[in-house]
Amino acid sequence: MTDWCMVIDLEKCVACQGCSIACRFENNTPAVSPQESKNGRAIRWNDVFPLPLHFAPDQGEYPNVKTHYITRPCMHCKNAPCVKVCPVQATFTDEEGIVHQNYNRCIGCRFCTVACPYGVRYFNWFKPEWEETLAEYRNPDQLSVNGSLEGPAVRPTGVVEKCTYCVHRLAKAREQAKVEGRDFRPDEYVPACVQTCTGKARFFGDLDDPDSTVSQLSKSLRAIHLLEDSGAHPKTLYLAEG
Amino acid sequence: MAKTLSRRDFLKVGGVAAGSATALAALKNVMSAKASTEIKTAAEEKIVASTCHLCSAGCGILVRVADGKAVKLEGNPMHPVNQGSLCPKGQAAPELLYNPDRLIGPMKRDRASGKLTQIQWAEAVQLVAEKLNTLRDAGHPEQSVLMHGDTRGQMRSFLARFMEAVGSPNIVSHESLNVAAAKLGTYLTQGIYGLPAYDLENANYVISFGANLLEAGSNPQRTISGYTYLRRGRATRGKVVVIDPRQSITASKADEWIPIKPGTDAALALGMANVIIKSGLVDADFVKNYCFGFDNFTSNGDHKGFRDFVLDNYDPAKVEQITGIPATTIARLAGEFAGNGPAVAMLPGKGGLLNGGFSGVYTAMAVHMLNALVGSIESKGGVMTQHYMPCADYPKLPSDPIATAGLKTNRLDGAGSKFPLGRNSYQSIADQILEGASVEALFLYDANPAFETPGGKRFSEAFKKVPFVVSFSSFMDESAELADLILPEPTFLERWGDDHIEGLGYPGISIYQPVIEPLYDTMNTGDFFLKVAESMGGTVAKAFAWKSYEEVLQFRLKDIGADWELLKELGVWFNPGYRFAKRGSQHWIDNIVGSERMNAPRDGYFDLYSRELNCFLGGMKKDELAKLGISQTGDNANMPHYEPTAFVGNEKKYPFMLNVVTLMSLGPRSDAANMPTLQEISGMTVRETWDSWLEMNPQSAAKLGLVENDQVKIESPFGRISTKVKLVAGLHPNVVNLPFNQGHTAVGRFAKGRGVNGLEILNPASEPLTGLASFTNTRVKVSK
Repeated sequence: MTDWCMVIDLEKCVACQGCSIACRFENNTPAVSPQESKNGRAIRWNDVFPLPLHFAPDQGEYPNVKTHYITRPCMHCKNAPCVKVCPVQATFTDEEGIVHQNYNRCIGCRFCTVACPYGVRYFNWFKPEWEETLAEYRNPDQLSVNGSLEGPAVRPTGVVEKCTYCVHRLAKAREQAKVEGRDFRPDEYVPACVQTCTGKARFFGDLDDPDSTVSQLSKSLRAIHLLEDSGAHPKTLYLAEG
Repeated sequence: MAKTLSRRDFLKVGGVAAGSATALAALKNVMSAKASTEIKTAAEEKIVASTCHLCSAGCGILVRVADGKAVKLEGNPMHPVNQGSLCPKGQAAPELLYNPDRLIGPMKRDRASGKLTQIQWAEAVQLVAEKLNTLRDAGHPEQSVLMHGDTRGQMRSFLARFMEAVGSPNIVSHESLNVAAAKLGTYLTQGIYGLPAYDLENANYVISFGANLLEAGSNPQRTISGYTYLRRGRATRGKVVVIDPRQSITASKADEWIPIKPGTDAALALGMANVIIKSGLVDADFVKNYCFGFDNFTSNGDHKGFRDFVLDNYDPAKVEQITGIPATTIARLAGEFAGNGPAVAMLPGKGGLLNGGFSGVYTAMAVHMLNALVGSIESKGGVMTQHYMPCADYPKLPSDPIATAGLKTNRLDGAGSKFPLGRNSYQSIADQILEGASVEALFLYDANPAFETPGGKRFSEAFKKVPFVVSFSSFMDESAELADLILPEPTFLERWGDDHIEGLGYPGISIYQPVIEPLYDTMNTGDFFLKVAESMGGTVAKAFAWKSYEEVLQFRLKDIGADWELLKELGVWFNPGYRFAKRGSQHWIDNIVGSERMNAPRDGYFDLYSRELNCFLGGMKKDELAKLGISQTGDNANMPHYEPTAFVGNEKKYPFMLNVVTLMSLGPRSDAANMPTLQEISGMTVRETWDSWLEMNPQSAAKLGLVENDQVKIESPFGRISTKVKLVAGLHPNVVNLPFNQGHTAVGRFAKGRGVNGLEILNPASEPLTGLASFTNTRVKVSK
């Protein structure tokens, strides 16, 4: 069974934010107003930011300073806390290890945003809005799972949304294989952030296939999980700098 | 059921049915591992290959067009620069295309009232043609001036041909704002006027002087591709060292960041040269046989060569005093650089760190010479020379005495006359006009000088003195607001065009094509000038026999090896594989070293003692040189040396150097500031958004009693601006950084009125020898 996994090499990542914006245009998360952005309510499923998380006056003294940057998609945890706390099963893990978010079921209680150790679940405080002609570029893909919308479909206010490993792209790739009358191969699809990565720092594939790039990389001595002790068994892997 | 359920209704239904077996089954279905998925997408989809125009890299793109709308950009995997990648600017390009503030058609402005009226393109063509014909009839075609920005590919030669046919030498590129200093450094040593390409894929040791190469160099995506390959894409990992007063993202990603006192990079490079020479680590074959002026030489008297000059003057202990970098570090860097080849020293292609007077050109020379000392010129893992796709020659211009006379006049920007070493002096156009030069028609193509030059407000005054200003901008930017005719060009996603692929050494072409029909009543400026030429008649019309700009491209690119249909399909065509020239070979002499020198011999020698510079400075007396800001005299002035930056602003009163930095997100182009997504992510490094900020070292801030997010006044001898302060530990205590591309007073709703433009308080002077703009010689005071 395919086990989707992403590996991010932090040494090749140059913090350009290409992933963040590729995700935005793939998944229809528009820019918010300047004030709301200042309030931290901009939605970018994959954010890039400097570490430590908050400004720390003791981050070292000139010239002995080292700034680190990290890019953070959903970890698609094997033991996902968000799935456990959801009272309405709006978020669930599919058989290939992707943590879905079903907008029709979500009641906006935000248990999951609190439970997630990684802060990658975003609450829709407002109706997503594109000013005037900006609405033209929206991704028209409509993915429905068991009859309800997921992925890039424009969300209503009051639901939680998150990175889906671009599950609609997976559906399209499967559809394409079907049309061509052949079996789908796991290397036929990557999420938008992986495709655009300027530093070729991102890898995506089937962790279940020992020959896949992600399987090989997962054995690297540099391979780490974020907050390994959270018990969530995050799947997205990082290759540490150094 | 046509009526859609609201979410609340859905929940109600769910609640009522909760007890029933069907609902349980539905719930189970949601939970079941075997989810049934259904994907619907646009009825009609296509992928169109084109080129991104949001920075000077020119990455190849594949645009997904769904039901006639451009919805997503991806990198073109065929394109050798980005190899399928795309940065946030490129990803956000649909926000440029569908921007609500785009200009929707040609307009004419009434000067007295400032009122704009929509006009027809035919009228615009007629107005421009009449104006140019009037100037030609009066015998003064040189009074028409064209200023242009990042214009690569055939558009540059097309515009140059147009101005030549009209008879004006005044086509002025914006390079004096950025790349010209690095180009001059290469020219005065290697004898090639252009940015070197670097073979990062094969380099083992890379030292970058003062450039945020991974964010906003002249070709950031090319550097990123090379950099990541060098570090983790191959079996052995190369080392990257960044010299910069500021810990840019590039510096924090490098193996080593060497903070340096601003403006002293030349001293560091020469200190390294000193150690390399002293330790006998030079490439003896190269410096003896292919360089001029390494040893002392005799030619009309005795001359000191580069070796003795460097050994006498740049001992690491002395360099430590100048740069603030420990002598041991300098020695170590030199040893690493010379002992771990292939090594390459990179120039900041873009970014103002070299633009602080002629000292910046000396810096560029000193840095480029490090490559020569270790034999990294034209060698694997070293410096490559950029080759260009040979394009079909334009037909010879018809003979035209009016144009010939016009072309003989001095350039308005003073390049070649007032600024003897300069090729373009973009920002000085304002000075020339204000000093009384007569300019009757001014065209702005891809140019917003009122915003993007130091002291750009001078252009507002200057434009008032020009009776006919034409802007081709797609947005009502600061300069277009002052124009008489506004003739919007479609965005790069709706027009024909091309780029030369740069940064890899080998030649290539990447084309732009309309991925969708133009949204508004806009016209490709190439097409516009073709119409103008036709309307002008006579020799100008004869010089432009093409029906459309697309035809011009087809003509120019007919011999590159791909036919037009194939080029449209692939978007890109190149001759891969860089073949290094053999030292001293004919190819070397013809194309690699010395072939573009205008005065000094084109003999294939790399100049460590710049003979070209001697042609300008030779024989000058001490006071004449001092006027140019050069403290050395005689032979020493022709060699790269450290020249203290002539800062404007007394150090006691104005303790900080203001460094205006370009960001990966907002980039160099004014229209990018009106893309909401880029505004949102612009302040990632300091957790800011939609605003400007001033970066300051925490200790310096503490001395001034400033804390994070305090509103501060930044004052230079040229003015005062105000923004919030951000404490950044990785920053030289005497430098403050202000990001570029905020503080717009126009362009559109997203750009207007956000933050401040640091260029407003920078020294507006042009460097007297080269006409370069001054970016890094302004000191400021910061207060609450």
